[in-house]
Amino acid sequence: MKNETDQISVENVKRRKNCDFKARGEPFVWILGGTLVIGLIMITGFVALILYNGLLTFYPNRIEVLKLSNGSTVAGELVRSEIYKPEPDRIDSLPELAQKELEANNGYLRRYLYKTGNFDLYNEDYKWVSAYEIDKVLEPRDIVYVERMEWGPFIGRVKALNLNGVLIKGPDPTSEQLEKAQAEGKSRRQRIQNIEHGQISTVNHYLEKDRLALKKIELQDGANSNAYSVAANKFKASENKLEIEYRELSNEAEALRQIDSKYTITMSDVENREKVMKLSDIVRLYPANRLSFGSKLSVYFSRWLEFLTQEPREANTEGGVLPAIFGTFCMTVLMALIVAPFGVVAALYLREYAKQGKLVSLIRVCVNNLAGVPSIVYGVFGLGFFAYIVGGSIDQIFFPERFPNPTFGTGGLLWASLTLALLTVPVVVVATEEALAAVPQSMREGSLACGASKWQTIRRIVLPRAMPGIMTGLILAMARGAGEVAPLMLVGVVKMAPELPIDQFPPYIHLERSFMHLGFHIFDLAFQSRNSEAAIPMVYVTTLLLITLVFVMNVVSIIVRNRLKRKFFTGHF
Amino acid sequence: MRIFGVEGRKETSPWVLFADSLADKTITIGGALVIAAVMGMTIYLFYEVLPLFGGGKVLSTHEYNAPLKSEDVVDLTIDEHDTLAAAVSKIGEVYIWHTKTGAPLESLSFDFGGKELTAIGKSIDNDHLAFGFSDGTVRLGSIEFINEITTPEHAPKELKELDARDSSGQGMIFSKIPGKGLRKVYAEIKLATEIKVSETDSPIVALDYRLVDFGDRPKSYLAVADASGAAHFLTTETKTNMLTRSRTTQVNKMVLPSPKESVHFKFAVIDDTGANIMFADRTGRVFRYDVHDENKPELAETLKVTPSGRELTVFGTLLGARSIVVGDSGGDLTIYFLLKREETNSTDGITLVPTREFQPQPSGVTGFSPSQNGKTFATLDANGAICLRHGISQKTLIELGGRNEKVNAGIIALSPRLDGLLAVGREGKACFWRLSILHPEVSWKTLFGNVWYEGYPGPSYTWQSTGATDAFEPKLSLVPLIFGTLKATFYSLLFAGPLALLAAIYTSEFLSNHVRGKIKPVMEVMASLPSVVLGFVAALVLAPVVESWIAAVLLAFIVMPLCLVISAYFWQLLPVRTSLKLEGLPKLILMGVSVSCGVTGAYFLGPVFEKLFFNGDLKSWLSGNQGSSVPFLFLLTLPGVAVFLTYLNSRTIGPAFNSRVKTFRAPYGAILDFGRWLILASVAVALSYVVSMLLALFGVNPRGSIVGTYIQRNTLVVGFAMGFAVIPIIYTLAEDALNAVPDQLRSASLGCGATPWQTAIWIVLPTAISGVFSAIMIGMGRAVGETMIVVMATGNTPVIDLNIFSGLRALSANIAVELPEAPKDGTLYRTLFLTGLVLFAMTFVINTLAELVRQRFRKRALKL
Repeated sequence: MKNETDQISVENVKRRKNCDFKARGEPFVWILGGTLVIGLIMITGFVALILYNGLLTFYPNRIEVLKLSNGSTVAGELVRSEIYKPEPDRIDSLPELAQKELEANNGYLRRYLYKTGNFDLYNEDYKWVSAYEIDKVLEPRDIVYVERMEWGPFIGRVKALNLNGVLIKGPDPTSEQLEKAQAEGKSRRQRIQNIEHGQISTVNHYLEKDRLALKKIELQDGANSNAYSVAANKFKASENKLEIEYRELSNEAEALRQIDSKYTITMSDVENREKVMKLSDIVRLYPANRLSFGSKLSVYFSRWLEFLTQEPREANTEGGVLPAIFGTFCMTVLMALIVAPFGVVAALYLREYAKQGKLVSLIRVCVNNLAGVPSIVYGVFGLGFFAYIVGGSIDQIFFPERFPNPTFGTGGLLWASLTLALLTVPVVVVATEEALAAVPQSMREGSLACGASKWQTIRRIVLPRAMPGIMTGLILAMARGAGEVAPLMLVGVVKMAPELPIDQFPPYIHLERSFMHLGFHIFDLAFQSRNSEAAIPMVYVTTLLLITLVFVMNVVSIIVRNRLKRKFFTGHF
Repeated sequence: MRIFGVEGRKETSPWVLFADSLADKTITIGGALVIAAVMGMTIYLFYEVLPLFGGGKVLSTHEYNAPLKSEDVVDLTIDEHDTLAAAVSKIGEVYIWHTKTGAPLESLSFDFGGKELTAIGKSIDNDHLAFGFSDGTVRLGSIEFINEITTPEHAPKELKELDARDSSGQGMIFSKIPGKGLRKVYAEIKLATEIKVSETDSPIVALDYRLVDFGDRPKSYLAVADASGAAHFLTTETKTNMLTRSRTTQVNKMVLPSPKESVHFKFAVIDDTGANIMFADRTGRVFRYDVHDENKPELAETLKVTPSGRELTVFGTLLGARSIVVGDSGGDLTIYFLLKREETNSTDGITLVPTREFQPQPSGVTGFSPSQNGKTFATLDANGAICLRHGISQKTLIELGGRNEKVNAGIIALSPRLDGLLAVGREGKACFWRLSILHPEVSWKTLFGNVWYEGYPGPSYTWQSTGATDAFEPKLSLVPLIFGTLKATFYSLLFAGPLALLAAIYTSEFLSNHVRGKIKPVMEVMASLPSVVLGFVAALVLAPVVESWIAAVLLAFIVMPLCLVISAYFWQLLPVRTSLKLEGLPKLILMGVSVSCGVTGAYFLGPVFEKLFFNGDLKSWLSGNQGSSVPFLFLLTLPGVAVFLTYLNSRTIGPAFNSRVKTFRAPYGAILDFGRWLILASVAVALSYVVSMLLALFGVNPRGSIVGTYIQRNTLVVGFAMGFAVIPIIYTLAEDALNAVPDQLRSASLGCGATPWQTAIWIVLPTAISGVFSAIMIGMGRAVGETMIVVMATGNTPVIDLNIFSGLRALSANIAVELPEAPKDGTLYRTLFLTGLVLFAMTFVINTLAELVRQRFRKRALKL
């Protein structure tokens, strides 16, 4: 009996609860959940966009040859298609086919973007083709895709080879002969490059160094002094020697160029316009429509290799990003080297040494706030204080001979690293402080009670326990530093650095040099390149690289943080 | 001492002590230094900015006896290095002396042929002069200071030292310059043949002379008036014969129509275009001639520029000849512009408009000297007091002289580089002040106020830092930049704030720990995306897509919530047991399906929506006045009306209806509930349509304010891209705050019979509200300082415009764009530092507020 009443009452309650829709607030809950889903879609969509475009950029596409209704022929890789609304006043002048398409598609037309290459022939390397213009689409097997040192890609057919007077008509694009000729051309190109960029620039470097040394003596002792005349004579001698060396090298390069110009390839585009180019100018040549999956992959990976290990060409839109990777790496490492000791010392002071009171908590609030100060403000500070004031003074004291060219008195690697170190110091201080706070007080007390000194306690007990937290902070700081661009634009990043910050000339590490950076590379490519369409694929790949770098650092820090939390969990906000 | 067999040492090893004290000192000093260095940044920024607000300084004063009294001087000039001064007397003698010591050099003289000099005109570069004579002729001439660099070997042997820098010899001054060279400075005069101007041979009374072209074919303008009241406009062009190298000057004379009344002109001014010639008389009447058409010059306007009873004493132009300075005997100073105006009495629609007023001089203005370097000018009054003023900032930079001074200045000259001022006194004394005026064009007013710039129809807030010519007025208003920053922040928070908050509430209150642990890191990963990447995607991917699908994008903001709400009502139809089973991840996936339905719906309905609401083409609807504004107003009022109706419903029939619904079995109740919502929704639609009709009747038009002409890189795109940067920050912090609410509160609420929804909204959210608020503040701080996204995704146009579809220029972007090109320590450089300081202050205030709120929240949460 009692049981039964119980059951009834439960049922009653249940039913009432079910039907009180206002209390359940289901529509609101769905809106809440919907926003979360939108957030997740945003991030996954973003990553997917970058991954898709970044990973597919280097994959060789098929080349389509289009016969257009106006009789012309277009060959190229299909980049994308879109639908568009033709301008109202143009609609009437469109052909019948287009009118039909318009009617069928609510006033929209479809068009395709083809990468046609051949900039030297067409003065453009991308072309929009409307769907109604296309009569026929072919994929001929003899069409080749050629990447060149200059003028962007060439799409067309191989007509003939001229190997130092030996004419070979219509060689097969995959023939061994061509491959061999191409490999030889490549080695010739590398030899010339080696002389021009390696040996000659070494000569120039020494010449410039001697000249500066002489000028320094002139500035110190005056042009009439004994020391100067001795140095001047010495300079004359070494200058002569270097001049001779220079002349020899440039003659050698010239001779090589002479030979090189005799090895040519004749190509023609799909409309049979011929173009003769040097074999050594060809970076890569493949018959796009004949590639097996395996050879496509090999092209794909060779492009990645080129991207990661070569210098950029064609105003950064082709080639590799090695200098940018190198610059990013140098800057980030230097920044970490600067920020780690300073950040940790500041945190140790705040947490272990300073008297905890109003002042210290005020300082803590300020340090916290500094983490939120816009990065560009740090850039302004870096430019004004580090580069102009500190760097300017260094120039005046140590490099008067280079005046008026600034050495340290302008943006450079050191100032960029210092600026970013300043930017990330709050991150490290906050993380280290939290890590130090997470070490239980009892451990310190235990150590002190055993007779250890304060420093011994910190070194042997506190710091090891806090190390994972400090590392997390440091990695986070590095991730932030690697992805930051705005302050770097002011303190030393350039679109094309002539020299790497580390080279074979003493003192080997050149902290004053401007450098390239992946983030700035993206900005520059996307905004300052001649042809933004041609730059976009490169932007995607660079973005993929940068994001991967930053993500890896973040994931590492999250893993480290989680391990730390499991080890010493104390509740805090 | 022995404890358990261990021999204990009583003394600590000195190494340990040493290491300890060393560490102690290093860490204390190092730590304090690091913190001080970080704080020092602010101080440095202030240090760079402060010179902007200093006026001018007098570096040194040099007094001596001048070779003549001011009343005999008709023209006074200084060379660009402040080495030599030259004064022309009434009879054509040119006295030359060393500016700082007064040491005289050999005098030169213009040969006027015994004619009496009656008027003088002067080009702005001070070198070129036009002399008018009593017989109605005009002669052009010049006093040029020649600078040559020589070496000490080439200098004459006996040099008389004048001061630390200069010495004299052979009628020249030799100045030491950095390095080993010497600069030789001397004056040269030239006088051209006379030009007959006045037909009646009346004396020339007013002259203005302006050089317009230089180089091979110099051209000049001359405005000349004679005592009979006849006005003339002369253009001269000098050609060089290629073969003979002889130069011929061609003079073209235009006689201007005389005014009806008889006048005695005293001043003449030619404007920047050379199309307007102004003559003024002593009483302040200005006669403006339009000489556009050289065959038909006409008197375009007559205007009085001084109050009655005052005499016009200064009538001249600043550099660029677009600002006309008017001074009177009462000490008032005003700048006039020639501007197009609707209501004028002039024949060509242009009139002289007073635009800038200056602090009056204590007694009547008697002298005026414009600078060749910017818009600074000096004025002199009857008491001999000199004021240096700036034409844009209207600042009085320096005040010099006055009755008590020994000089009692009667004529003044500003040095070309604006680093000195020379005055010749009425009693024959002279004084040279070496000045330092660094940033005359900046004042609080130019930075934050409404300033009327040359060529603008009215006062405006404008940022335009560089121009093509020297005469360009730098426009350094920070207002459009601050506005841009606030606009970007507002729109991005409008998008990101609700999204992040609602998502945080859902994550913290409706998801199991397991799912939350998976989802939260994904959202956090978004925070580490470099902003340059976001900027690139926003500008090159998002902006074109949004542009072609703008209608669908706008529609998505309506369709997605609708889809979610409708899905929720369908969800309610499910049996309780099923819905409980699907709680958690499956429900989230269903929500995802619903959201994608919304997106797809928006994509397909976009064109229809565009046709129905915006006349078939949203962009032309936005830019023009085609189509009515009712549909858009309807969209704007709909959310408000819906909220109002919901409120009304809950106050009136809602509760009664609700308790009726409770009595039904589940599916029927759900259907009833759905029906209720549908009815409410349709009422809302109808009502807001009526409201928008009414609003449109009253002339409310959203176009031109919050919406307007569409630009590809616009605030909508920026808001969306910035969302990526801001959402993860707000989300993480808000989720942390919500999560920190102790579980016993939740359990108690649920135990009392509240649903999770009620618990979340009425218990958890109010408890954590300060933490949530601080999360939004910190997100805002990030949005304010974000640089790369705004640089890349906005057009960087500094306009004040609420329109969501137009671009903007934010403070941060402005620094990134302009600082690399700004010369060190220049005005722009310091202004950009000020911009940085403003940005710093904005974020610092926001972050400090957030931190204070957070700490309060922490304390409260700990008490719970």
